[in-house]
Amino acid sequence: MHNILSVEKIEKYYGNKGNITKAIDNISFNVEKAEFLGIMGPSGSGKTTLLNCISTIDTVTTGHIIINKKDITTLKSKALEEFRRDELGFIFQDFNLLDTLTAYENIALALTIQNRKAAQIDAAIKEVSKKLEITDVLNKYPFQMSGGQKQRVASARALVTKPSLILADEPTGALDSKSSRLLLDSFEKLNKEFEATILMVTHDAFTASYAHRILFIKDGRIFNELIRGNDTRKEFFNKIIEVVTLLGGDAIDVL
Amino acid sequence: MFYKMALNNVKRSFKDYSIYFLTLTFAVCIFYSFNSIEAQTSVLEISKSTKSYMVTLNKLIAGTSVFVSFILGGLIIYANNFLVKKRKKEFGIYMTLGMSKGKISRILIMETFLIGLLSLIVGILLGIIVSQGLSVITAKLLVVDMDKYKFIISVSAIIKSSLYFGIIFFLVMIFNQVKTYKYKLIDMLNAAKKNEDIKLKNPIISIFVFLLSVAALTSAYSMVLKFGLDLSNSLFLLAGVLGVIGTLLCFFSLSSFLIYIVQRSKKIYFKNLNIFVLRQINNKITTNFLSMSAICIMLFLTITLLFTMFSYKGSIDKTLKGNTSFDASAKLDSNIEGKKIKNIKESLDKVNFKFESYEKHAFFTEYKLKVSLSDLLNKYSSKEEQKELESSYTDGLISGVKISEYNSTRQLLGLKPMDLKDNEVLVVSNYEDFNNAFHKFMKNENSVVIENKTYRIKNEVPIKENIISSKSSFEFLYFIIPDNFKGELKLYSSCFNVMFQGDNHEKSEEKFANLFTQLEEYRNEKENFMLIYGNTLEQLYGMAYGSSAIIVFLGIYLGIVFLISSAAVLALQQLSEASDSLERYKSLKKIGASEKMINKAILVQNLIYFMVPLGLAIIHSIVGISIANKMLATTNKNIMGSSSLMIGLVLIVIYGGYFYATYVGFKSIVKNNN
Repeated sequence: MHNILSVEKIEKYYGNKGNITKAIDNISFNVEKAEFLGIMGPSGSGKTTLLNCISTIDTVTTGHIIINKKDITTLKSKALEEFRRDELGFIFQDFNLLDTLTAYENIALALTIQNRKAAQIDAAIKEVSKKLEITDVLNKYPFQMSGGQKQRVASARALVTKPSLILADEPTGALDSKSSRLLLDSFEKLNKEFEATILMVTHDAFTASYAHRILFIKDGRIFNELIRGNDTRKEFFNKIIEVVTLLGGDAIDVL
Repeated sequence: MFYKMALNNVKRSFKDYSIYFLTLTFAVCIFYSFNSIEAQTSVLEISKSTKSYMVTLNKLIAGTSVFVSFILGGLIIYANNFLVKKRKKEFGIYMTLGMSKGKISRILIMETFLIGLLSLIVGILLGIIVSQGLSVITAKLLVVDMDKYKFIISVSAIIKSSLYFGIIFFLVMIFNQVKTYKYKLIDMLNAAKKNEDIKLKNPIISIFVFLLSVAALTSAYSMVLKFGLDLSNSLFLLAGVLGVIGTLLCFFSLSSFLIYIVQRSKKIYFKNLNIFVLRQINNKITTNFLSMSAICIMLFLTITLLFTMFSYKGSIDKTLKGNTSFDASAKLDSNIEGKKIKNIKESLDKVNFKFESYEKHAFFTEYKLKVSLSDLLNKYSSKEEQKELESSYTDGLISGVKISEYNSTRQLLGLKPMDLKDNEVLVVSNYEDFNNAFHKFMKNENSVVIENKTYRIKNEVPIKENIISSKSSFEFLYFIIPDNFKGELKLYSSCFNVMFQGDNHEKSEEKFANLFTQLEEYRNEKENFMLIYGNTLEQLYGMAYGSSAIIVFLGIYLGIVFLISSAAVLALQQLSEASDSLERYKSLKKIGASEKMINKAILVQNLIYFMVPLGLAIIHSIVGISIANKMLATTNKNIMGSSSLMIGLVLIVIYGGYFYATYVGFKSIVKNNN
């Protein structure tokens, strides 16, 4: 199975000569196709910086990031814009749905930005909304939807372009536990049935327990790696809690 | 400390509030310029007759300025309201830091004062420059030489502008006070998070409402087109009300209707950010349909005012055109019974007047023939037109002039003499353009019956040059008759025309002006009573240009004020929209829209927002202008052509300028926050 994402010895420094902060300090890892990877770490560990670098929003100081055989650290800004548009799908903590548009239009927008043909758009939206069970809310505006529905619409928007890699930044951060579970169930389904590759950043152990593999980051380095293997989610969750305790994360972050 | 804060706030927000500042400055500039016309004209060498018109103009401008200051005051308070709303959060932070509301409002007062002072100074400086241009226009309108050009600063206009705007700024300060005391801290801190209510509407209803508005507008148009500008007619009022209702309904339903239509066409709907643009526009136009309608009506007034005032000027110019061939003319009314003097030559002798050799002149006698205008046109005019003829005093016996005298008058103008057989007449008139029936008459008839004798009309098209330069346009139909005309000739008036030759133009001008004043005295005498109408060319121009200057100045003044007000309101609404929608643009960026795409979306959005009220206003104006033109009876394409180019340019520069400033401001707001 080939790698969708290869991160090779990346470093990210902030500040100038006298006062350097290493936000990322020599991190390397691979993500295979159809993998569901979680990244955990306490506040200030560098996980958001890592996500920003992978999502081409920020640039690395040294090292290479290769997504779908393209080295994004060498791309020019215009090419980056196109790359981000065509190869990546984003799911954000605060949904980032446009409040003036219906769910349908929000999803359609991701496609129209790519200049897709009008004829394909409707079919693509129907397909993805079926997967995520949001067919009923397609004609509703965000303010008429629940948080869970909003996040699933946002996920549909990320998925509809069939990106190589879906980046989810604290997707359950603004959801109650029931909606979180529903969303994560649909992530699992997408991952299993449609072989979507998902990279999810979270500091919530429950959310992380849905992943196949978890990288723990502390002070800009990979501190630990957990692989779920054949564990049940409950067993995996307990293992995660152990590592988190070791990391010294806040109790609030764990529960 | 507070002064420093206020100063810094002004400096910092200068870029954000450029539209506010621009509007204030423009307002002051316009206000100063028009109020300084009095000073501008005082240096121009204008004739006495024109001067009286300028006095009227200044009075009218002073009156209009009061009205204008209400509009501008409203506009400034509106703009200020937007800015204060935008800064709610900032004030909220001040308050959490422990600043009292009193202190916040003191900062606001300071800021208003600073911005007001600055815009007043800049506006007046700009106004001083603009008013120099205005005096060139004045000179052009009054057809005065600009040799003695002087740079004029009108102190009274400066004082007046400062006073009026001082009061406006004072009102703004009070308004701000009231506002800041009314705000709650929690609302202030959360101000940025609040979104506009999204109005949901049934597309079927919006289609229905839109069709209703179209129906209302078309019926209003057809009513006005049918009945014309008749204020006494209750249908005219009804048409006005229908027009306003139609406009309101149109803006209320337009965007929902548009979305409904565009959604049918997937190709447009699913292209780039069109979905987003459409929704943004929909949101905005529907919420602001009231102000949109008001802006549309203001733009309509602006366009109609600007175009019709030039048409009015055009119609005056045209009236003058056929009437002003000679440098001076005079006419003695010989029709008054019991008066001795029947020939104008005698009148001139009476005041010992001698023509100089360079004052080429010709006398002629005007007779009344035994045929009236309505006799001639009976066949060709409708009842209404006949009524109009009677009411406008144009009807009556037709004047006749003998060919030999006519030829000597022609000679003055350097035209070749004409031959006329005993059974022929010539028609001299520029009446044709004003009267349809006469036009038909000339086209269809080639003979005319006077006292049972038929005369052939020698010319197919009337000679448009009149045979006397006169203020009145009542009698511009003359038949040139053979010298040995057999019918009855009733002596009507005795006239002369003069052309000045050589370099003594000014001297002669003055000489004749004096002569006419002198001759006018005889109107009050019993013994030597003479009723003489005389005028030099410049006196004629003075009258015509003076009155058209009044119309044109008031038209430009109100037109520009309306234009600036509507453009500024649109600009402010769009800019506040920009900060309200920041989150949306951030989301767009995050889901992969490129900067180019976003900029294009902003451009389209602003373009639509500015064009929608203008578009409807233009449609309104086409109807309005066509009615006004009908009333002014100008169909002269040349006048319309050249002035519409100029007006179009002014519209584009001001409106387009606001549009561009809004677009740039919008872009920078979005960009700075990404």
